Amino acid sequence: MNIALLVAVPLGLAFASILHKKLAPVLLLIGSLFVLVGLSFTEYGETVIGGFDAPYGIHLLLDHYRLIGLYIVNILFFVVIIMNIKTYQKMATVLLVSLAGLNGLMMTGDLFNLFVFLEITGISAYIITSTNKHPLASFQYLVAGTLGSSLYLFGLILLYAMFGSLNLADLASQITLLEDKTLVLLPFLLMFLGFGVEVKLLPLNSWVKGILSSANTLSGPMIASVYAAAMSLVFGRILHDLFIFEGRFQILVSVILLVSILAGEAMAYQTRKVKEILLYSSIAQAGLVVLLFVSGLATWALFLVMANAISKMILFMVIAEATKNQDDELDSLRGLFAKNKVIGLGFTIASLSVIGLPAFMGFVVKMHALEFLFAEQLYLSILAILLASVVEGIYFVRMLLELWAPSEYRFTFPVKMQYILLVLALILVFFGLTIEPLQALIEGIESTLQGGILWQV
Amino acid sequence: MIQIAGILLMMLGLYGILTNRNIIKIIVSLNILEIGLNIFIISIGFVRAGEAPLFSSEAKSNALVFVDPLPQALVLTAIVIGVGTTALGLAFAKQIYAKYQTFELDEMGEE
Repeated sequence: MNIALLVAVPLGLAFASILHKKLAPVLLLIGSLFVLVGLSFTEYGETVIGGFDAPYGIHLLLDHYRLIGLYIVNILFFVVIIMNIKTYQKMATVLLVSLAGLNGLMMTGDLFNLFVFLEITGISAYIITSTNKHPLASFQYLVAGTLGSSLYLFGLILLYAMFGSLNLADLASQITLLEDKTLVLLPFLLMFLGFGVEVKLLPLNSWVKGILSSANTLSGPMIASVYAAAMSLVFGRILHDLFIFEGRFQILVSVILLVSILAGEAMAYQTRKVKEILLYSSIAQAGLVVLLFVSGLATWALFLVMANAISKMILFMVIAEATKNQDDELDSLRGLFAKNKVIGLGFTIASLSVIGLPAFMGFVVKMHALEFLFAEQLYLSILAILLASVVEGIYFVRMLLELWAPSEYRFTFPVKMQYILLVLALILVFFGLTIEPLQALIEGIESTLQGGILWQV
Repeated sequence: MIQIAGILLMMLGLYGILTNRNIIKIIVSLNILEIGLNIFIISIGFVRAGEAPLFSSEAKSNALVFVDPLPQALVLTAIVIGVGTTALGLAFAKQIYAKYQTFELDEMGEE
């Protein structure tokens, strides 16, 4: 199957859904299912758009890394929509557009095309967050997002002025040949700041609090899990492919990321609001993911994105559902799981995986990351990750103890949600106990990540 | 020269976004920033004494030096996206006004 259909079909259905508004939710399900099924019929390689070969024309690429990313994003997207399709029927068209945008974002091999997809996903994300009924937060997200993508565009146009190309692989091979790597410092910083907005890195992540602290079952999992996964993977890809981190350059970026991680953990530690705990924790996790990409550990960063996306999906879905009609203070949610054992089990597994306890996917990923950082003698990063994990452990366990406390609290979760989330949680356990499936994937991913011409499969 | 003008407009827009406390003014600043960026992008493709990059069976050109058409195509896309974002921003501004009866961030009683 032509991979362009993964973008074209959801986009076409989005137009159709405007004409037939009543059918929109059905079209959304069809679009999402089509992409999920279609992924297994795709082949590695590239699709040229518009008849101009790379590096002159736009092209979409599929390799191991992108395919795994597409699976993660599309499966989680499907989970979010089947749980929200009834409540948020009006969002169907926007969700179809965002699906097209996310798939395009993951596959494109052209930096400007990436900007266009970034804006498509961005605009649909702003509209999705408008379901929070908190227009000021959505507006702040829009301003931050637009500012970020403008900075990204500024960076890419500087790269175009320097190298005369917008093709990711072409640029990568030209930058590799560059003698004075400091020449790409400015475009790098601009793109780093631009993507930093979407990936929730310091200093441009102020929008996160407004959006996620009032998130519902659609916007919470969508922004914190699906979007976060897609953006981290694309950002990681650019970081890994285009820029080489050495010496002072690496120290500078690492320090920004370490501050992002530790600040996120510290803020999560000091708050008593459950949604804030989760959102600050995801800021810290985003910093960790980018740190792994910057340190040259793309494979395990990919798995960390996967573990985080699944965990955050469960955590945000549960809390958004539980706080539908009440506030999210830890004290008012005390005893939430006393009568909801299944959902409590899923939530606990997801939390323990984020902390990185053995037998969960988070542990496997963190362990390998630490081993690698140790071999590379990046002791500062190791120290920060360990410290962050301890702080994470404290506030997550504190939260779990409150939520599991015996009480008369009465709230029942939808049955559908209970079992879907439990299945997701079991995936975390599965990958935590057996490492073979991940290792089988590693070889495939690394073969597509090495060398200058990164898209050759 | 035109590049400096573009960057100055961008800086002006950025300053506006950071210092203004009025929703509409923030949207205007965002637009100024985008216009500055678009001017900068256009300037990248500028070639002194270059011809317009038109070449078809009717308009045959013997010019040896063409202006780079790619940045112009990029700007066209960027302008369309900018219009979309501005429209959405104004829609949010309308919702904000309906909720708080003001465009001033300081008068809304929350951050």
